Amino acid sequence: MNARDTILSAIRRAAVPQAPPAPACSSPAPSHDLLDTFLQVLATVGGQGVLRTGTQTVPELLIDIAAALGVTNPADILVVPGQCAVAENGAVYVDAADLTARADIIRVEHLVITVPRDGLVPTMHEAMQRIPRRSACGWFLSGPSKTADIEQALVIGAQGARTLHVIVDVD
Amino acid sequence: MSAALPVLHHRGAGHPEAAAEFLRDKERASWHDDALWFVRQRRDRATDLPEWEALREAGSALKAHAMSRLADLLEEFEQRATAAGVMVHWARDAAEHNTVVRDILHGAGVKRVAKSKSMLTEECGLNPFLEADGIEVVDTDLGERIVQLAHQPPSHIVLPAIHWKKEEIGALFHRTMGTAAGESSPDALAAAARVHLRDALLHADAAITGANALVAETGGVIVCTNEGNADLGMHSAPVHIVCVGIEKIIATLDDLGVLLRILARSATGQPITAYTTHITAPRAGATMHVVLVDNGRTARLADADMRSALHCIRCGACLNTCPVYRRSGGYSYGHVIPGPIGAILAPAVDLRAHRSLPFASTLCGSCADVCPVKIDIPRQLLTWRERSAAADALPKGYATIFRQLGRILAKPIRFARNGRLSRFALRTLRTLRFMPGAGIANRWNPWTRPGRDLPIAPHETFREWATRTGRRA
Repeated sequence: MNARDTILSAIRRAAVPQAPPAPACSSPAPSHDLLDTFLQVLATVGGQGVLRTGTQTVPELLIDIAAALGVTNPADILVVPGQCAVAENGAVYVDAADLTARADIIRVEHLVITVPRDGLVPTMHEAMQRIPRRSACGWFLSGPSKTADIEQALVIGAQGARTLHVIVDVD
Repeated sequence: MSAALPVLHHRGAGHPEAAAEFLRDKERASWHDDALWFVRQRRDRATDLPEWEALREAGSALKAHAMSRLADLLEEFEQRATAAGVMVHWARDAAEHNTVVRDILHGAGVKRVAKSKSMLTEECGLNPFLEADGIEVVDTDLGERIVQLAHQPPSHIVLPAIHWKKEEIGALFHRTMGTAAGESSPDALAAAARVHLRDALLHADAAITGANALVAETGGVIVCTNEGNADLGMHSAPVHIVCVGIEKIIATLDDLGVLLRILARSATGQPITAYTTHITAPRAGATMHVVLVDNGRTARLADADMRSALHCIRCGACLNTCPVYRRSGGYSYGHVIPGPIGAILAPAVDLRAHRSLPFASTLCGSCADVCPVKIDIPRQLLTWRERSAAADALPKGYATIFRQLGRILAKPIRFARNGRLSRFALRTLRTLRFMPGAGIANRWNPWTRPGRDLPIAPHETFREWATRTGRRA
């Protein structure tokens, strides 16, 4: 028998008694405004939230962000659309279908993700429903790249993006 | 390097001997204990959610469900992944896994590999195997790179270099990366590592990653990192190989939602890792392989009493909380997975070689309390102790002690007589001041040797008290 058949038949021989699927989980009713929670958690994971009102355009906000970062080379900033933002952990889902190349998400120095107002969800349970069913690749990104491998001291900008901004539409 | 690290990794010696070696440097042992406890406290804050216990129940249930449908789920995963252009391989053991990986690399003419964190490849000894074949492997997680540069294995499954001090890392980087002598600020060292590792990652011919989960419903591979190193490798190199144990499969994205809520909170006290990647297909022009590895997992599955050890999501929470792990270090276990979870996994590999591990625990139960998928670690430790006794594989001296103890505990009269004797000894012979070393608290007693004292025995036992006060003993 080849490896595949050997392993599968060994599993079936183990005859593990049937165990039911996990019960559906839902998050308790959020006690705070989702946007407030998201922005607060995003800050704790090292990201920065930017609110966009109807009168502002994304390029206008980008100019401010670039100026604040002191970035002069436009290639150092990547702007990508996010499909949903998770209040409990500050993560934003970005699908590779919205990128020119997958590696861009990780190679760029400064990442900016835009999120529509209706993209906010309380927890990962709801976020799972937002992943495109036929996605080839996607990410939950929670703040910039970081490491704490040297004496548990948090260092932002380990190997991926050094900064992460999330622009949330509020109108 | 200037700051000499104690040789922690033992060969052949049991856990007590290796732990004693670790504890010789009291200051370092205490620092290690504090570092892990700091992570445990972060975990406590992160898991302070009203639904936390329900999430643990769900985590346990989704894993039990996946184990009960393991073959079906693996076939479903294989079918979807294959349809998406992923090449799926199967390996019965470590040797077959290593050969499969080497053959893929040879076929693609690979000379340089960038590898992100994978305890499975540590378990299989992949790095030395590939290096012997002339393939350069760079571990790209910062902690793993630190231990790789020092020719050490990881001492913790999530925090591979938790036993390293920043001054020692500074000296290591000075020697290997040319950082300034005496530089030990984490910011400066991580910045140097960023340049060093991004170079390795962007110029690798192949990327090897582990997987935190496989999702049968989507044919997706889940990889979680904080640094982004796994992504930098897998989306840059022309070849991506995922090395993963078969027990990592889960049924649905809903299950993944639960898993992602409990994993990072339990591991590092973060609400989620910075990068959580769901990848189901290679990018255009690249190839992607998934190697599904058994290496003892199907045998574990057939062992009903020990099966739930396969639920482990490798968060490391049981290591961080364990009073024994914190005070003895990862290398004292002599197994690729240390700590409480390692102590129930290792005996399945070789009961005799790892005979001391089921006893490297006080059975305090803290590991079971923090485990996000509710593995009954203390119960399994006990079961391994029973099996060690049955297989005549107890650590040296234990059999005699247990036989004596068994005789004493079997008869109330013997118990009472020995109790009286012990109390007398603890009261009067504890230390014999006129004859140092002659009492029972001396340097030959393993309990008192580290500087611990013995308790003063009470004058009255519980049974004596009950009889005196007219209560039934």
